[in-house]
Amino acid sequence: MNNNILGKIVFYLLVVVVVIYLIFPFYWMLNTSFKSEAQLQMTPATFVPRDPGGTGAIDFTLKNYQAVFQNDTFLRGLLNSLIVAGVTTFIALVVGSFAAFALGKLRFRGKTPSLYLILAMTMFPQVAVLTGLYAVINALRIPAIPAMILSYMIFTLPFTVWVLTSFFRGLPMEIMQSAQVDGATPFQTFRMILLPLTMPALVTTGLLAFIAAWNEYLFALTFTSVEPQSRTVPVAIALFTGQVARQEPFGEIMAASVVVTIPLLILVLIFQNKIIAGLTAGAVKG
Amino acid sequence: MSTQNPAADVSPKPVAAPPSKKGGMSDLAKAEERLAYLLLLPTLVILFLIAIYPLGSVFYYSTTDRRFASSQATEFVGLDNYQQLLNMTVRELPRQLDEAGQPAVDPDTGEALYARPNEVLITDDGPRYRDVTTFNLLGKRYVLGATDRDFIDATLATIIFTVLSVVLETVLGLGVAMVVNSNFAGRGPLRVLMLLPWAIPTAVSSRMWEFMFDPTRRGFFNVVSQKLGLTDGQVSWLTERAFQLPAMIAIDVWKTTPFMALLLLAGLQLIPSDIYEAADVDGASKFRQFWQLTLPLLRPTMAVALIFRTLDAVRVFDLFQIVLAEKRYSMASFAYYELIKNQKMGYASAASVIIFLLIFIFAVVYMRALGVSDEQ
Repeated sequence: MNNNILGKIVFYLLVVVVVIYLIFPFYWMLNTSFKSEAQLQMTPATFVPRDPGGTGAIDFTLKNYQAVFQNDTFLRGLLNSLIVAGVTTFIALVVGSFAAFALGKLRFRGKTPSLYLILAMTMFPQVAVLTGLYAVINALRIPAIPAMILSYMIFTLPFTVWVLTSFFRGLPMEIMQSAQVDGATPFQTFRMILLPLTMPALVTTGLLAFIAAWNEYLFALTFTSVEPQSRTVPVAIALFTGQVARQEPFGEIMAASVVVTIPLLILVLIFQNKIIAGLTAGAVKG
Repeated sequence: MSTQNPAADVSPKPVAAPPSKKGGMSDLAKAEERLAYLLLLPTLVILFLIAIYPLGSVFYYSTTDRRFASSQATEFVGLDNYQQLLNMTVRELPRQLDEAGQPAVDPDTGEALYARPNEVLITDDGPRYRDVTTFNLLGKRYVLGATDRDFIDATLATIIFTVLSVVLETVLGLGVAMVVNSNFAGRGPLRVLMLLPWAIPTAVSSRMWEFMFDPTRRGFFNVVSQKLGLTDGQVSWLTERAFQLPAMIAIDVWKTTPFMALLLLAGLQLIPSDIYEAADVDGASKFRQFWQLTLPLLRPTMAVALIFRTLDAVRVFDLFQIVLAEKRYSMASFAYYELIKNQKMGYASAASVIIFLLIFIFAVVYMRALGVSDEQ
């Protein structure tokens, strides 16, 4: 009995350690975002924003948030990210569900090689094609935003096809057969019967594609290097500069980071089960 | 919301002729096959345009001295880029001699003094080597020299980063997964919390941690390490070489352990609980149950998680580029700076090819070692 209680205490202690480890950097970000420039310069750094005058009273400021919402680069970055991630997700789902339907439900020669190609592509290192892709984009004179959308297919499309294929395969064959008996073409069957059934999988893969595209940095940084007005949020945060040159405005950077984290937190809160299902789909079946 | 196949318009044939009753299976099968190709076409065209063709051109550029945004004619240089990137040498450093011709020691510490690396690396003929690192082996001191010091250093940094962060993430991830796998109050919120580091952009987490590693006591780590009496609170974590990789690994472990834990958790939940009950009846200790039941049964999940994590770690870019910029490179950030800053497209391409091959080798080794290639 005693042993049991001790075990429980150790267990919950472990949980607490894990929770603190996970939360603390976020807490520090939040703490920093509420500090004024003077408070940021206080050493040692305080664990809550305190009055720099020496009274030690707790003293929050919203100045960093005001600055962030007046920062055109950042606001434009939010809009650019929304466009890039939204369009990427839409195209990946449309194009990907076509391919997945073919791979999951139709019979044709060359299916196995196609599947292997797609699987290999899910592990493809983006940096390996950086120079070649940049050359293609320059040769075709594609502006940065469509260039990002196109290039993000490299990591969204193979993944979408792969997950949706296994989903389509799991749908009973009788659905297709009975639709065929009723005179529906395979494409009609796909559009009117299978696609609605796939909705849950589409939401899951769409979420993951959106988050991946929202967070992408390498291509965004490279393709917007000569087109700063097209920068997405990650690039804007990485290159964040304040009013005063030289000094990095960490208060504002952290405020911007909080602003970016909140919508993701909401997404995770609402869709946690779907996201986890999507993340683990590949791993567990593997 | 167009559900119409975009490729159908350019097709000379109708998508799928209505199957005639007399046509039998072969017509139907042909129509099905044609539809399948049409549906696959957009995916294959996109992947060809953005992955396969660029990859081919990267291999080609890597054998040229092509420069980016330059009118200068491009010349074929064979494997020169690779030679420049990979040419290395290891040379023994001789002891310094004092006036009496005896091996010299530091008068303060009593440690042996060695010749400076440049004295053995720079010769009148042969490639211009520069020192990457020195190391001791069997009582002698050696220097590793390379024609491109930055790339070899980036490669070593990337490999050390990959091995250490993946090992730590797997061990810690397994621990967290086992904690979360037990039923307890607050398990749901904890899972949300675990998703968050994975969900936020690496740009955000890198900036967050960058400030925690601030070189003054504005930074969290300097405050804490000074309070614990370990440092003077002025440690430049991100500038001092000895601390750079541990800092990178710490950030990556924070961001990715929860993801690893979620994957392993999914694997744990597939293990039926009655085998543990049976093991309890047989009197097997919890420790033995872990080694002989949990680990073997978790192997397939762990294999996939390890492969994904390793391939991800080898191509690490965001973290190094944002936090360390040009203070220290990963292989990917090296390639990026060669392309964007130095405009050396051919050279950057050769570096990319080496990353690609390294990832390929890692993938093959893993699949062999963990036996996942045939079971799929």
